[in-house]
Amino acid sequence: MSAPSPPAPARTASIEVRDLVVRYGQVVAVRGVTFQVAAGEHVTLLGPSGCGKTTTLRAIAGLEQPASGEIRIDGTPVFSSSPRIQVPPERRGLSMVFQSYAIWPHMTVFDNVAYGLRVRKMAEPAIAERVRWALDLVQLGSLGARSASKLSGGQQQRVALARAFVFQPAVLLFDEPLSNLDAKLRAEMRLEIKELQRRLGITSVYVTHDLEEALAISDRIIVMRDGVIEQIGTPSQIYDLPRNTFVADFVGSANLIRGRRRPDLETDGRIVLETPGGAIVHGTGHGRRVGDDALFSVRTVHLRLARERPAAAVNVWPATVRRRVFQGDFTQYHVEWDGRPLVARQVTTDPVDEGDAVYLIVDPRHCVLLED
Amino acid sequence: MHDLGRARRFLPGPRLVSVLVGGAAAILVLYPVVFLVQASLSTGDPQARPPEAYGLDNFTDLPRYGHIFANTVIVAVAATAMAVALGFTMGWILSRTNVPGRGALEQLMALPYYVTPLMGALAWSLLGSPSGGFVNQLWRAVGGHGHLIDVTTPYGIAWVMALFEGSVAFVMIGAVMKSMDPSLEEASQVLGAGRLRTMLRITLPLVLPGVLGAAIFVFAEMLGSFSAALVLGLPSRFYVVTTAMYQLVSQYPPQFPRAAAMGVSLFAVMFAMVYVYRRIVRSGSYATITGKAFRPRAMDVGGLRWSLLAVSVVYLAIAVVLPVLTLLYASVQRLAIVFPRADNFTLANYRTALSLDAVRTALWDSLWLGLATASIGVLLMGFLAWMIYRSRLPGAGAIEYVVMFPQAVPRLVFAFGMLWAWLIFPIPIYGTLWLLLIAYLTVFLPLGLRTIAGVMLQIDRSLEESAQMCGASWGYRMRTVTMPLLRPGLIAAWLLLFIASVRELGASILLTGPKAKVITPTIVESWFSTSTELTAAMALLQTLAVAVALALLFTVARRAAQHPGE
Repeated sequence: MSAPSPPAPARTASIEVRDLVVRYGQVVAVRGVTFQVAAGEHVTLLGPSGCGKTTTLRAIAGLEQPASGEIRIDGTPVFSSSPRIQVPPERRGLSMVFQSYAIWPHMTVFDNVAYGLRVRKMAEPAIAERVRWALDLVQLGSLGARSASKLSGGQQQRVALARAFVFQPAVLLFDEPLSNLDAKLRAEMRLEIKELQRRLGITSVYVTHDLEEALAISDRIIVMRDGVIEQIGTPSQIYDLPRNTFVADFVGSANLIRGRRRPDLETDGRIVLETPGGAIVHGTGHGRRVGDDALFSVRTVHLRLARERPAAAVNVWPATVRRRVFQGDFTQYHVEWDGRPLVARQVTTDPVDEGDAVYLIVDPRHCVLLED
Repeated sequence: MHDLGRARRFLPGPRLVSVLVGGAAAILVLYPVVFLVQASLSTGDPQARPPEAYGLDNFTDLPRYGHIFANTVIVAVAATAMAVALGFTMGWILSRTNVPGRGALEQLMALPYYVTPLMGALAWSLLGSPSGGFVNQLWRAVGGHGHLIDVTTPYGIAWVMALFEGSVAFVMIGAVMKSMDPSLEEASQVLGAGRLRTMLRITLPLVLPGVLGAAIFVFAEMLGSFSAALVLGLPSRFYVVTTAMYQLVSQYPPQFPRAAAMGVSLFAVMFAMVYVYRRIVRSGSYATITGKAFRPRAMDVGGLRWSLLAVSVVYLAIAVVLPVLTLLYASVQRLAIVFPRADNFTLANYRTALSLDAVRTALWDSLWLGLATASIGVLLMGFLAWMIYRSRLPGAGAIEYVVMFPQAVPRLVFAFGMLWAWLIFPIPIYGTLWLLLIAYLTVFLPLGLRTIAGVMLQIDRSLEESAQMCGASWGYRMRTVTMPLLRPGLIAAWLLLFIASVRELGASILLTGPKAKVITPTIVESWFSTSTELTAAMALLQTLAVAVALALLFTVARRAAQHPGE
C-alpha cells in the first residue's frame, strides 16, 4: 500500500505559563511556575512523583483549574485569574496522550483514531485517509478494524499516539505515556516519539519522571520539585551543569563534595575547595556566586580510576576500592577517598579488585559548583 | 485555536444542568421529610392541615408505645444476628473455600433477594402458622401435639426476615472477604503461624470491620422492614414500629401526628446507624479493600467441602425453593393442606385472580409504573452518579448525602411524609399513579445510584478526558464515550429498578388510592380479606408477570439492536 500523502503541516503554537498556582483544597500542588515553550519546541517537565509536573500539564490542557496565574496558547489567554478566563479543554486546540492510554474499549482502533476528526465534522472519506496516514505513522496500518480492547500495551500506546496527533492539534501534551510499558518497549517507543515529533513538528510538552526519556526526546528540560521549577535547560546543560543538589542527584547519579574555599589557589577562573579531610579539589564555577563554603557535584561516570599515578597536575588523589559491583554496561566502584565514600562508574574492561589502592582522577571541568 | 474567541467564560452548560438535577433530587428527598417532621410536631386536631399548634406532645407520648419499640428491637436484633451468621457462613464458604460448584452457587445467592420478604412471609405463614401450617400439620400427623414451629412469634418473624436479608449480608461480607489481599495471610503462614492461628490473628481482625459494617447496615434495614411483620404479626396483633405506624394511619380516625412521631424516632435511629456504617466503611483502618482485584486463595477444606455444599444448598432450598413450591402448592388447592387430595386440586384461584378487575388493573398499572420508574430513574440516577463521582462540580458531596438519604428512612415512613407533602401540592397528583412514580423515584435513588456508581467508578476518568482533549463537547462525550461505557451499569440499574418498583410495598401501601392501585398492596389486601390460596396465586402471577415483561423487553431490545432503525 502506498503511503498516503501527509496532510498540510500542522499549525503549531507557542505556550506561555506565568506564575501558575494550582491548589487541591489545602494542598498547593504547583506554587508559582513560569516558563515558555516556543512553537515547534519539545519541552519536558521532569521530576519525582508529587512535584507538580502532571498538574502543570493538566492545567495547560484545561483539565485542572488553577488558582491563579496565566496560561497563553499562541498568545491567546486560555486561563487567567484576572480577568477570569477558563477556556474548556475541548476549545484549546490541544491534544494529549494519557498515562493510562485511555483507549476506548467499546470502539475499534479506527474509531478511536477517527474520533477527533469526527468531532471536527470531517467528511468520512477524508477521515479514512487521515486515519490510515496516522496508523501508518505509528506502524499499525493493518489493525484499523481490530477492537481496541484486544490490543497489547505497546499497540494501545501507539493508538493513543495516533489518536492524539491525527487531527493536527496545535500542541501535543504527553502525560508519562511510556510509564506502563516494559523497559525494552519503552526505549523503542522513546525513539518513535522523538521521530514523530520531528516529522510533525508539533509543539509538545512531555511529562516524565524518567531521566533517560527526558534526555532523549527533549529540546529543553524543566526540572521540578515540590511545585516549583528547579532548573530549565537543554538536556546537556541539565546533565553537565546541574544547578543544585536536587538536580545533580535527580538527573543521573552524582557525588557531592563539600569544602572550604581556597581563593589563594584559584587560577584561570577555577574554584578550589579544601575538603574537611584536607583534599584539594579544583572545579568550575560557571559564573555562579560562591560563598566561603561550597559544594561540587561530580558525576559518577566522570571519575576515573587508575593503578598508576597519572600525569595530571590537579585533581589526582589516592583512594581505596571498597566494593565492586558489576552492572553489565558499566562497573560501579565504591571507593574510600578522603575518609568518605565516593561512587565511580567505569566502562573499562580492566577490573580493579576490592581492597586495591588506586588513583582517583577527575577533570576540573567536571567538578561543577552548585548553588546550594 | 479556532474556537478560542467564543465561550471564554467559565462553562455554564453542565453546571446549570447539575444545579437543576441536583436541586430536583434534593427537593424529591427533603420535601417529604419536612412534612414528616411538621406532622410529628402537630399537637392540635390530628386531622388539621396545616397543624393548629406545635409541640413535643407526640414524642413525650411515645413511651406509651414502649412495648412496640421493644418488639422492634427484639425482632431486628434476632433477625440481624441470623442474617449476619448466614451471610458470614455463606460468604466464607463461597469466597474462601474450594466448595464444589462455587461459581454457580454464587449466582444462585442472588435468588433470595428476588423472592422478597413478602413472598417469603406468605409462604412461611402457610408453612409455619401454629394451627394450619404445613409443618405443624405434618407434626400432628406423626403424633405430635400442638405445634412444632410458630412463625407468628417475634423469632419466627425474625427468621423469615433473616432468610431474605441473608443474601444482602452475604454480598457485603463476601465482598470484604474477597477484597482481602491473600498475601497478608500467606505472610503469616510463611512466618510460621499455623492455619488456625492465622485465621484468628490475621483473617478475623481484617474482616471484622467489614462484618460489623454489614451488621449495622442490616440492623438498620431490619428496623425499617415492614412486609414480614405485617403479614405474620398483624393477625396476632404483634406490632413493630412500621406496622404500628401503618395501623395508626389506616385506622379510623387516623392518628397522623402520632404515626409521624414514631416515624421520626425510627428514622433518627436508622440515620445514626447508617452514619456509623459509612464511617466504618470509610475509615482508614478498614484497609483490606485496596482497590486491587485479588483472586482470593481458596482454602482446601478436604472432605468438608461436601458438607459445606450441603449447607449452601439447604440455605437456598429454605430461602427460595421451599417458599416458591409452597405458594405453588397452595395456589392450586381449594383449601391449603399438606397431604394431597385429588378433589382438593383446582385452578379456580388463578381464574379468580385473573378475572378480578382490581387485580388486572393493579398488575397492569404496576408494570407501567415499573417501566416508567426504571426508564426515568436510569436517566436521573445516571446523571446524578456522573455529577457526584465525575464532574468535580462544587456541592457534589452534599448532593451525594441528600440522594443517599432515603437509605436511612424506611419506605413506609418516607411515603408518610409524601402523603402529606403532595396533598397540598398545587398540581393534583395526590391519589394518582404520578404520586407513586415520584415516590418510587425517590425511595429507589440510593439503589439506582449505587448500581450505576459501581460501574462508573471502574471507568477511568481519563477515558472521558481524552475525548475532551480530542475536542469533543460535553454532550458529544456523553453520547459517544460515557454512555456506551456505562451501558452494563445502566442496564443493571434499569432491571433492578423495574423489579423493585413492581414489587414495592412499604411506600405503595400508603400512597395507593381508589384511582391508583398497584399489585403488591392488592396482594396484601387479599391476604387479609380473602383466602390464602387466592393470595398465593396472585403472588405467583406477579412474579410471572415480571418475568414475562423482562423476557419481552429483552427480545424487543435485541431485535432493535440487530435491526437498527434507519
